[in-house]
This record gives sequence, C-alpha cells and structure tokens, in this order.
Amino acid sequence: MSAVLLIAIPLLVAFVSILSKKLAPWLLLATPIANLVLLFLVPTGIVVIGGFQPPFGISLLLDTYSFIALFAVNALVFVIGLLNVKEYHQFSSILLVALAGLNGLILTNDLFNLFVFLEIAGIAAYLIAASNKKPASVFHYLVLGAVGSSFYLFGLIILYAMFGTLNMVDMIEKINAATVSASALILPFFLMFVGLGVEAKLLPFNSWVKGVLGSSNTMSGPMFASVYAVTVSFVFGRLLNNLFAFQGNLLVVVVAILLLGIALGEAMAFSSKKAREILLYSSIAQASVVILLFVNGLVLWGALLAVANAVSKFVLFYVVTKAQKEVGCDDLDSLQGMFQGNYVVGVAFSVAALSVIGIPLFAGFVLKLGYLTELAANANWLAIAVILVASLVEGIYYVRMLVKLWYPGEKEVKVSFGNVATVVIALAAALLLVFGVYRGPIDNLDNTIDSVSEVIDLG
Amino acid sequence: MANLELLLLIVLGTGLVAYLLTKVNQFLGSVFTIAATTFAFVSLAAYGFNGGLDTTVQWIPWLSFSVTNLGFFFAIIIVFVYLMVSFFHPYFLDHYKYPSVYNMLFLWSLAGVLGTFFTENTIQLFFFFEFIVWTSMFLIPMGKSKKAAVSYYGFSAAGSFAMLFGILVMANVSGSYGLSTGLAALTGSGKEALVFVLFLIAGFAKLGAFPFHIWLPEAHGNAPHPFSPVLSGALVKLGAFVAVFALIRIAPFSVTIDAIALPVAQWIVAILGSLSIVFGTLMAIREDDAKKLLAYSSMSHGGYILVAFSLLDSVAFAGGFYHILAHALASAGAFMAIAAVARQTGTTKMSELGGLIHKMPVTYIVYLVAIISMAGIPPMGGFISKWLIFQAVLNKGMVLVTIAVFFGSIGSFLYVFRPLAALFLGQWITKYDGQVKEAPLLMMIPMLIITALNVYTGVFPDWLLGVTNGVITDLGYPALQVAVAAPFTLNGYYGTLAPAIISLVFAVGVVVAAIIFFVLKKSRKVTLMDTYTAANFVHNEELLHYTKDFYAPLERLYEKYTTKMRDFYNALAYKVKEVGQLAKYLFMSKFAEVALFWTILILIFLLWGEF
Amino acid sequence: MIQYAAILLFVLGLYGLLTNRNVIKIIVSLNVLEIGLNIFIISIGYVSGGIAPILTSVNNTSALLFVDPLPQALVLTAIVIGVGTTALGLAFAKSIYAKYGTFDLDEVEELK
Repeated sequence: MSAVLLIAIPLLVAFVSILSKKLAPWLLLATPIANLVLLFLVPTGIVVIGGFQPPFGISLLLDTYSFIALFAVNALVFVIGLLNVKEYHQFSSILLVALAGLNGLILTNDLFNLFVFLEIAGIAAYLIAASNKKPASVFHYLVLGAVGSSFYLFGLIILYAMFGTLNMVDMIEKINAATVSASALILPFFLMFVGLGVEAKLLPFNSWVKGVLGSSNTMSGPMFASVYAVTVSFVFGRLLNNLFAFQGNLLVVVVAILLLGIALGEAMAFSSKKAREILLYSSIAQASVVILLFVNGLVLWGALLAVANAVSKFVLFYVVTKAQKEVGCDDLDSLQGMFQGNYVVGVAFSVAALSVIGIPLFAGFVLKLGYLTELAANANWLAIAVILVASLVEGIYYVRMLVKLWYPGEKEVKVSFGNVATVVIALAAALLLVFGVYRGPIDNLDNTIDSVSEVIDLG
Repeated sequence: MANLELLLLIVLGTGLVAYLLTKVNQFLGSVFTIAATTFAFVSLAAYGFNGGLDTTVQWIPWLSFSVTNLGFFFAIIIVFVYLMVSFFHPYFLDHYKYPSVYNMLFLWSLAGVLGTFFTENTIQLFFFFEFIVWTSMFLIPMGKSKKAAVSYYGFSAAGSFAMLFGILVMANVSGSYGLSTGLAALTGSGKEALVFVLFLIAGFAKLGAFPFHIWLPEAHGNAPHPFSPVLSGALVKLGAFVAVFALIRIAPFSVTIDAIALPVAQWIVAILGSLSIVFGTLMAIREDDAKKLLAYSSMSHGGYILVAFSLLDSVAFAGGFYHILAHALASAGAFMAIAAVARQTGTTKMSELGGLIHKMPVTYIVYLVAIISMAGIPPMGGFISKWLIFQAVLNKGMVLVTIAVFFGSIGSFLYVFRPLAALFLGQWITKYDGQVKEAPLLMMIPMLIITALNVYTGVFPDWLLGVTNGVITDLGYPALQVAVAAPFTLNGYYGTLAPAIISLVFAVGVVVAAIIFFVLKKSRKVTLMDTYTAANFVHNEELLHYTKDFYAPLERLYEKYTTKMRDFYNALAYKVKEVGQLAKYLFMSKFAEVALFWTILILIFLLWGEF
Repeated sequence: MIQYAAILLFVLGLYGLLTNRNVIKIIVSLNVLEIGLNIFIISIGYVSGGIAPILTSVNNTSALLFVDPLPQALVLTAIVIGVGTTALGLAFAKSIYAKYGTFDLDEVEELK
C-alpha cells in the first residue's frame, strides 16, 4: 500500500468509467470512499516513486497536513458526487480526473509534478465549469488558468536554473544553503505566487471567479468554492511555509495584496444583491485570510480555516444553487422566505453562515479566535484590524441574507431539497457545531502538522 | 452552593426543552420558559446575595467562572428583567413566525448573560458577548422590521469587535487572558489609551450612546413587544459593564484638568454622555411611536450612566450603579405596559390611541409609576440615582455637563408624559369600542412586581445602596454613606436625603388628591369627535388628537438636524458599497487583462532598480 | 541570446492576450506564450558545446559534456499539456460561436 494509489486509483477509474456510462456514477461514488479507507491504511512519510531516490525522480509526501487536506477533499467529492449523481452523471469521469489531480496536488513533493497536477485539475475544472452553460466565462477561466500556470512554470524554471533541482525538500535545503540575495529570488517567487494566486482566487488575479461561480450550479458551485478552494489553499500553504521566503518589498506587496483582497472582497460582497455573488465574493475574502495566515506562519490555523470554510461553503453554495435552480433566479429578494418549509436546511444554512462570520458555538468562532490570538501574539495589529473590520462588513451582509431567507416577502417561495441533500447538509452543519464546542483534536495539533521542515532536518 | 456552570448548562438545556414543548403546545412551552427563568433567577438570588455561588466545578475545560460583586450586580438585574418578561410569552408567541425558536433563543440569550458576567477570562467574555448578540439578533426580526436585526447586529458586532481588539492588545501586554491581570498590566504600558478607546467604543455601541445610537429606536421600536423590555432594560446594560472596565479600571494616563480634578479622557466621555442625554431627549420629544420614544429615552439614560462613571467619584458611582438598576426597572415597566397596550389594541402609535385608562387602569398605574421613576421624580428609584448624579456633577463643577443632566431630566417630563397622555388619558378612540379590556392576569403579575419595586427603590434605597457600595469598594473607591437605621438617609455633597420622609409627603399628597377626586363631582366624558370648529363638524379624528403636533414649536427648532447621524451611517454603508462596486469594476468586469496588468505593474515595482 | 528571444515570444504572447478580443486570436496568443516558455525551458538546459544526453556506443562515458536532459523531459510534458489546453480552448470557442454566433468577446459581452 502506498500513497500513490490515492492518485492512481481515481485516474485509472476515470478512464475505466468512460467505457460504461451506466457504471460511471457508481464508480464516482466508490472511488472517494475507497480513497478514504486507503488514507487510513497507507503509511505516512515520503513515498519514492519508480525507485529514484530523492532528490531525483518524483516523490510524494504524506503527513498530517496532507492527510487533513486529502480527507477533506475526498469526503467532499464523495458528498458532491452523491448529491449530483442523478443530474450530472455525465460529469462522473471528469470529477474523477479532478479528484486525481487534486489528490496529486496535495501529495506531491516535486515542483514540476505540481505544475502537471495543477494542469490536470485545471482542465477538469474548465470542464466542470462548462456545466454552467456559459462558454464565454469558462473561456476566460481557461485563458487565465493557462496563463497562471505558465507563470508558475516560468518561476519554477528560473528556480531550477538557479538551484538545479525540482524536489521541494531539496530545493528548500539548497536555497537555505546558498548565498543568493533575496532580490534574485523575487522574480521566481512572485511569478509562482501569481500562478497559484489565479487558482487561489487572490484579488487582482481572480477575474474568472465572478463568471464561473456567479453562474454556478449544484455541482460546480460546491466543487469550486469548497473542494478546489481547500486544495489550492493547502498547496499554497505548503509552499508559503517552506519554499517561499518572502522578504522586504516582496513581503510588503504580498501582504498588501492579501489585505486588499480581504477588505475589497467583503466590500464587493456587501454591494451585491445576488446570493451566489455574495457567496463568491465572500470566499474571495476568506481565501485571502487563509493565505494571509500561511504568510504569517500560522500553518495550523490556516489549514483548519481552509477546511472549515470548505465545509461551510459547501453548504452555502449547495443550498443557494439548488434554490436558484428551482426558483430560476438568485436575487436575494426573490428567494425571501425560502426556509419556511425547510427548517432543517435553513438551520444548517444559518449554522454555516454563522460559522463563516465567526459566531460563538460554531467552528468558525474557535478558529477566528485561534488565529486572532496568534496574530496578536505576533503583534500583527494591521492584519487584525483589517480582518475585524472585514468581519463586521461580512457579518452585516450575512445577517441581512439570513433574515431575508427566513422571513417571507410578498411572494411565496417553494424549494424542495430532497431527503439525501437535507441529511448531508445537516451532517455538515452538525460538524461545524461539534467542532465549535469540542476542541480536543485542535489542541493536539500544532504547526508541526506540516512536516517538511522535519524532513529537511533529518536530511 | 449553587454551581454556576451547572446553572448555565441547565438554562441551555431548558432552551432545547422549551423548543420541543413549544412545538407541541405554545402555552405549555411558554409556561416552561417561565419556570426555567424563575429557576435561574431564584438560584442566582438565593445563593448569590450571600456569596454561595460555586465556581470551582470545571466540566467544560475552556469555561471558567468567577464571581465579582460587579458581575453579580449586573447579572441579577438582567436575569430579573428576563424573568419578568418571560411572563408575557404565553400571550405573544402566537403572533410570531417561529414561536418555538423564540422561546429557545430567549433562554439561550439568558445563558449568555450568565456567562458574560461571571467570568475572569476575557476570551470567554467575548464569547458570551457574541453569543448574546446572535441569539437576540434572531428574535428581533420576528417583530415589525427585518432591517432592525441587521442594524442591531451591525452596531453590536462593531462594539464586540472593538472589545476583542482591546482584549487582544491587553493580552499582548499582560501575556494572559485574565481580566484583572490584563487590566492591571495595562498601566504604564503605553497601550492603555488604545484599549480605553476600544473598550469605550464597545460600551457606547452596546449602550446605544451617541454616536452609536441609531440602532436603539430601530431595534427597540421594531423588536417583538415582549423583547423590547429585555433589550432596553437588560441588554444595553452590557455596554455599561464594559464602560466600567474602561472608565474606572483602566483610567489611562492623560492630562488632568485641574479645575474639575478629572483626566481629559474622562472629561471627553462625560461630554459625549451629555450629548447622548441631550440628543436622546430631543429625539424622544418628537417621536410618535411610543416604543421608539422609550428607545430614545434609553439612549438618554445611557448618557446618564456614562456621565456617572466618568466622574471618578463614589457618589457618582453610587448614582451610576443605582441608575442602572432604576432604569432597568423603569424601562422594563414602561415597555411592558406598552406591550400590554399593543397586545390589546395592536398598535403602539400614540396618535391612534387614547383614553385607555378606562379600560386598562392597572396598566396605566404601571406605566405611570415607571415614567415617574424615569423622569427622576420622587418617590421612585430614578429620583435617588439622579439626585446622586446631580450632586456629583455639581461638586465637580462641570458646567456643560450639569446643564445637560438637568436638561435631560426636565426633558424627560416633556416626553414620558406624552405616551401617558396619548395612550391612557384623553378621549376614548371609538374604533376600539368593545375590543379592549385589561391585560390578562399572568401579564399583570410581573407588571405589578416591577411597579412595587419601582416604588421600593425610591422609598427604601438603603439595602440596595449597600449592594452597590459592595461594588464600589471592589473598584477601589470609598463607599457612599448610607444610614442603615431609620430614617435611612444618604449623604451627598450638598445635603442629606431622606427618601422615606419624602415619600411620606408624597403619599399624603396622593391621599389628599384622591379624597378630592372622589368627593367632587364626576366630570362628563366626551368623545374626541364631540366638538365642532368654525361651525363645522370635524371628521378627521387624528387631527384633533391630543398629541398631534404636541411640541411643534420646539420640534421646529431642530427637526432639520434629526436625521444627520442616520444619514451618516447610511452614507457610510453606501461608501462601502461604492468601494465594492469600484473593486468589481476594476478587478472583475474585464478578464485576463486586469490580472496581467496588475502582475506586470507589481513586478516592475518589485524589480525597480534591481537590474 | 536564445533566452532573450524566448522571453520576447513570451511577452509577445502576453501582449496578444491583452490586446485581442477574438477567441481564436487569444488561443493563438496563448500558444505563442507557451512556445516562448518552452523554448526558455530548453535553453536553461543547454550546455555550450554539449551533446545529446544519450549513451551510445560512440558516446559511452559520463565524462562527456552532455546537455541537461531534465528540461527536455519537462518540455515534452508541458507541450502535451499545452496541446490539451488548446484543444479544450478551441472546443469552448466552438460552443461560444454556437451560442452567440460570434468569436468576438466584446460582442458576446453585449449579447449576454
């Protein structure tokens, strides 16, 4: 048993699933389950592929950090597959390819391999986005994604020219050992930052988000807002923690980009009237918060926040896209009172929204306090102030949204969610509630969940 | 020994039970809610006054409790208001969209109150603060307006986030999240001014003091009728709680103004408090909705509390703490009376009501006593507290503040009298013929209790002042001199007050008036339309109404400026929206060009001068 | 020298992306950009005077000066990915045309 199976199985099944249209949906559901089981069986540590000892060849790294991400991604893909299996059965193979790409992104320890997985996941993403039936915005996404990954590759090749290696651990060792001036690293680091920033929805590089998420459906919405978001955050976090040694001007620029992303993201959401737009701008701001935590070295909080956001955003996007499909419009005003007959869904939606705002009893609160106290310990007042002001704005529009959705307007709105979806959403919300009260697992973890630095110390 | 953690968990648990019971039967669930709040109040009162609250048990690892006189003082008042209001539930729930949720969230916010005031841990303080905010937030939209919940959340969250920022700064200085250690460590750290300002923002926002008063009329006026007393009588006092930390326990280093022996910071707060008093009074005078009027009066009373706590003087502190109690009772009483009226008639607009004294005499008495206390007239509690505050302000020689506090007191006469005249006195409005009768017995109980307490606090303040003295000595100031033997005098700076004797004089006056009233001939009752003018009968009842343009000449002086603050906040929200739209235009409307443009621009910035 | 040419191509591709609003032209620009990048990658591995890194009966000792084989392997992968992206882009171009009847993104914007 090796961690490489986590990538190989979905990829293989994806090709198999093309052969049988009938079998494909079942394969889509079985694969993430198999992966989840496998995840608990495979040993952690570095996985050498093809017998090439690192730093040669490709190697994978499975540690607590990637474990959390893999668990979240596979579970979410299963759930999203389960909820959309009827309607989007023709997308089964694509979701499987996406799963392979995302698992690979999380696991890989090789920077070029990361680019390859980025493209695999990206191509799958373009196809998933195509389910929105808005070819022009998907095309925007494709161009931007392709340019982004080209930037990443460009930066990577410059690093390769400087240090002669593609293995992440080896690269970090060499960067630490070499006496390269920080300014020489600005170009490659920034190019890679931009490349990943496109996928991570960071502000100036994310113009695709509105077109894709703004017209998303029950499959593409949750896929982008939760699965892709959590994966890219984790990958970004890994690189930010270990590889990117941001200093001087570069650090200033990056922090400025992130803080602007938080503030403007919330402002954009505040000025929106459509449910999906509100949610997508809010996830832009949240993505910036997560990356900001990684830049500040708060690995654990960044990782957990990414996961909590993924769970909340899954609930929020699924409910909203489903309602949009039934009502035919996602203006908040036209969705007024949609929770009247759907108490369970309504409560779950409220829990998810309150968790995103960071309200007590829900997971978001524990996390928000966690990272704010850490930021305070580092006396990072500017970041705290921006995050708090942004949370205020965020809270106001989420509360506005919740009140609208709970209390009916002039027109009666009927949305039926189905039993499976109701149960799944309720479970996701229960998860947020449980981890908002019970923090045992968090107390056992710290920033060492990311073991790259340990691997480097061991040599 | 009563275990606080157990009490908190029980209240949380009863919330769930109340939810289920209300689902089955609304009346049953409401009675259960009454039982649960009674349990909370009784156990708190029975054990709290003799220091029997146990805080040692630790079932939930991240919760710790500690009892202080300050916290207990606030908690017992607020839980009492909750208890009184819970009696209203059986008669109001059927009006609301989600009655079972109403009972549940009501009890949960009560649990939040228990947590807030009995903690030494600042993070926990913030936790319960926010907990109260969201539980109460969902209750408000069940009333009249959905927007009210948003503005309530906005201002409350602004306050709590300011407090959180202060807490984080404090923890950074002291290295721990203890409240006392944190406050103590601030002295001389150079950060005290920042924390002072942040805590005060929290205090002002929760208290609804100027310039954060916009949410008060929105939330109090539009909340469900039985929840308005909780908001006004109980939850705004959270702001006073935080303000006490800032004003008394942090006391930042700043230049002292010799003439009034007060630091500049405190002086500024006193001025802001006076502005709250003045603006609240002026706004209340021109309000037509009785609940909104009372909300503005809460703003003005919040100003009194702030002024009292900014004077750094034990007479003022005694006045401030006593005012918290007196205002909680008075405003709960007044709001409950209005709620009773609203239940029977379906409106709170003064211009649509009149002559209710004939049908609801008890409610009339309740309201009358409450507003007497609010206006600071003996023999009610509000008089004692205002007397103490006046003494302290005069003693400091703060001219502007003195003018403001007296203005507010006189202004109270002007505005609290209006609902009395409009709702209860005046002519009977014929459209309610046969519909209106006195409020049900279960609602009468809390109203009468509160009325009795309003009188009690005014006649025998000695024991309660002993309680506030405990709080004041805890804060490091000498206790107010109160005679424990009859005739229970209290000493201010300019003389001694004997409330019992004053009350006796009043009682004699009331008896004499009653005798005259009963002996003399009865007046003849006429309806509003029983008149004519310029030889024509008038058909528009409303124009003839007593309160129509009651203070028109006065209002005309300032009516242009009444919307300024609201406009400011609307403009602020609009600006945020504009920024959002600009960002959308800049970053979202075009595609790849934008990303590339910024990337290249940033690269040029980064690499400038490198090659 | 070849590196400057590669970067020039890369920048040319960027320029094309910035100025063109025609779907097909954008895809072509994307390809120009990728080709520039690929040439750049190859040039990184070039060793002046080096020979192809293949052990043959003639070149059978590691003491010889080989060019770096790794970038060449990378380029192969990158080309394949680029082709995939281009194909997908063209497919979307087709569906844009089918839906809006034009290749011009500005016109698509108006038709929305």
